[in-house]
Amino acid sequence: MKKLLLALFVLCAAVQAQAQDKALLERAKAEGKASFYANITAVEPIIKAFTEDTGVKAEYTRISTSKFVATAITEFEAGKLMADVVQAPLPVLELLKEKGVLASYRSPAAAGYPDWASKDDKIQLFGIEYVGLIYNKEKVKPGDVPTRYEDLTLPKWKNQIVMANPANHATTISWLIGLKENVFKSEADWRKFLQGLAANKPMFVSSFGPTPAPVESGEKLIAISMPKYIVTKAPAPLDWARLSQPLMGTPRAIAVTSKAPHPAAARAFVDYWLSKKSMDMLAKDVGEYVLAPGVFPPIDGISKAKVIAIRELSDEEIQKWGAEFKKIFDVK
Amino acid sequence: MDHSRSKLTWLLIAIVGALTVFPVLMLLLGSFSEGLTAFGKFTVHKYVEAYTDPVLFDVLANTTLFVLGSSLLSTVLALFLAYLNTRTDIPFKFLFKIISLIPMMIPHLLFAVSWALLLNPSNGLINLALKQALSLEDAPFNIYSIWGMILVEGLLDLPIAYLIIAPAMASFDVALEESSRVCGAGTMRTFARVTLPVLRPAILAAFILGLVRSLASFAVPSVIGMPGRVPVLATHLYEMIATGFATDYGKAAAVGMSVLAASVTLIVVYRALTAESEKFVTVSSRGFRPAVIGLGKARTPLFCAVALLSLVLIVLPVAVLLYTSLVPYSMVPSARAFSLMSWKHWSDVLGDPISLLSLKNSLFLGVVGATLGVLLSIFVAYVIVKVKTRASGLLESLSYLSFSFPGIVIGIGFMWFFVQTPLYATIWALLLGYIGTYLPYGIRPMSSAFIQIHSHLEESSLVCGASPLTTLRRIIVPLLIPGIVSGWILMASMFVRELTLSVVLSRPGTEVLAVQILRFAEDGLWGKLSALGIVMIGISTSLVIAATLVGNRFRAV
Repeated sequence: MKKLLLALFVLCAAVQAQAQDKALLERAKAEGKASFYANITAVEPIIKAFTEDTGVKAEYTRISTSKFVATAITEFEAGKLMADVVQAPLPVLELLKEKGVLASYRSPAAAGYPDWASKDDKIQLFGIEYVGLIYNKEKVKPGDVPTRYEDLTLPKWKNQIVMANPANHATTISWLIGLKENVFKSEADWRKFLQGLAANKPMFVSSFGPTPAPVESGEKLIAISMPKYIVTKAPAPLDWARLSQPLMGTPRAIAVTSKAPHPAAARAFVDYWLSKKSMDMLAKDVGEYVLAPGVFPPIDGISKAKVIAIRELSDEEIQKWGAEFKKIFDVK
Repeated sequence: MDHSRSKLTWLLIAIVGALTVFPVLMLLLGSFSEGLTAFGKFTVHKYVEAYTDPVLFDVLANTTLFVLGSSLLSTVLALFLAYLNTRTDIPFKFLFKIISLIPMMIPHLLFAVSWALLLNPSNGLINLALKQALSLEDAPFNIYSIWGMILVEGLLDLPIAYLIIAPAMASFDVALEESSRVCGAGTMRTFARVTLPVLRPAILAAFILGLVRSLASFAVPSVIGMPGRVPVLATHLYEMIATGFATDYGKAAAVGMSVLAASVTLIVVYRALTAESEKFVTVSSRGFRPAVIGLGKARTPLFCAVALLSLVLIVLPVAVLLYTSLVPYSMVPSARAFSLMSWKHWSDVLGDPISLLSLKNSLFLGVVGATLGVLLSIFVAYVIVKVKTRASGLLESLSYLSFSFPGIVIGIGFMWFFVQTPLYATIWALLLGYIGTYLPYGIRPMSSAFIQIHSHLEESSLVCGASPLTTLRRIIVPLLIPGIVSGWILMASMFVRELTLSVVLSRPGTEVLAVQILRFAEDGLWGKLSALGIVMIGISTSLVIAATLVGNRFRAV
């Protein structure tokens, strides 16, 4: 009897949820469109699929991380925030939340996501901007591929590494701190690693974007970069080092805005974004590491890798460590 | 007459002020405001923090060397090329003109990346070739150095200098040089003692514009300076705003204010140095004809030298772009690389609706923006040169306001301004922002041309009963055609590849080429980036050819 009641309850809930979904979609259609501000790349296929599947137009504005907060807050304070939905690294959305830019919304589509991915009732995490070691598989012999982060300090990598500038690239700074807190046993070991890495004179570039090209062309052999480039830059001879230690990255987050011009369309878009279909596209087409259960990018061995989210660092911490890394890495 | 000139001056001050003052004012407010926007509680904290940074001294030393070096290089090269092209009988002049303008049409980011592919110490193509040819162990050149930065920035600023110097060179009064020769001076002595001094306003204008431009430049410091660990002001500002997520543009604006002050000082110095403009008049009522100097035996060697220079400095980086657009990923040229070539990046780019829309928008902004910008520049340059009052000095300084501000920050100033208006997120915001920021590109070539036109011409027209407007239309403008063409070309090709404002102001429906290119760069998609870059060069080249042809048709004879 209990089982029957439970089944009935689940059925009723499902019917109600479906009815709610339908009502939300109808309202979204009436609103006409959803505007999406994001810093994530190559998401046009999802935007297109959303429009085709729901009949609601989606508009995508790409804003780089360094301009995200300035743009969103300027528009918000002037009463002209055009975004219905915002997507950015978690610390950016935390800043927007503090300013009252975000609205509460718990998407039913996030039901299967890990518990820690639902930060609160405003911010939903859906992926990790994972960082690893990518190398030129035509130039690096299999036996030489690093198996631990410490291998990057070996003299054979002198002048062969490219990485984003550790003095100012927030994700790289967070990643280095992530190593301290999640990988190395002591701060002394971590500092020894940093000094060894610095002694190998890595070439610094402004962000992750320019890191794969020198590795592809053979100008450098290995990069501290994102394994997703193996997908987006195929058939470039790139592979990732399967380390015995975890991969780490800043969580990617999404939220609805508090003064969204199209609130129903915003919620419909977030539901669609978090659906398995969208996350599949994000993983397969863009190589992103997503939190939807069972979805992985088509990179050999990545489904077995341990990928962890780095603790959220405040801006003060990032600036403090950026200054410290500037000294260690002799960034002029 | 004086009354109508004064009215015109104040009208122009109002127009130019509206285009340039507000974004800078917003940045000024932001630099004194707590928080992340222009309107916060008053504080001087950002100035204290920005100017007590211990690395600032090193940064300023590098910046000084970088801007002086690159400006000197661009000015000297432009002088050399402009002299050969306009004053001598060197062959293939038209081709040389296009070549000297090409760096202006290439997105600066791409041009810098091409040079890194040619001269990086690990596997730069020129270094590899030289190592092989000369059996060297180490690469002879390292692009990732201050010298590499000066070379690439100097080449990027070459077109600006060329387009300012060439029109002045073209409207040179032969009588001055002939008098020198009659007095027994040779070609070189005449060039050094007569030609160069008379061209002083144009040369100084080119040099100063180069200084201001390289001070605001970000692509070269980022692509070449950062890997070479040579920090300059632009990368220092980038570090300031990039470290952390709550980007404080107000603090960057605080540093930017010094750049602005330096630029305004340079303009004042320039005005003082060219104050006695009558000295530089070469087109008077006696008629003029620019002389063509026969190079004689030096014709072929000079042609070869310029051809080689153009090949190494300009054609090679463009060829690298073409090559990159055809190979599947970044590869050193080899038999395998050539076997893998395809048009995939091209078809991806040309089949992408956003790329096509940005192409359309950029073309519109290039043609319409440059036309309106040049129209405004004619009046502004006229007042700056011919009305020597304090108000005209103010107008000149105003025209440089947005232009002088580091590119990385001025876009935010425009966003803070336009968001208060109904123009925000429209193509008109981009159009007005472009004109306001790049006004000096129109004004400078026009003022160097105005300086050379004697006021007797104008006075004769007025005495004969023509109104000031008719005088401008019938007498002045036809003589200004080389300057107008230069200004239009500079503005149009700048607008086609403009990034700093566009990246902040562009929204769905108003995408432009440079923003699309930046997206590809951020994703590391160099193939698509190069393909779209070449499309951009194609558009700019067509605009340059069209402008030159139209200019030739209406040129005064």
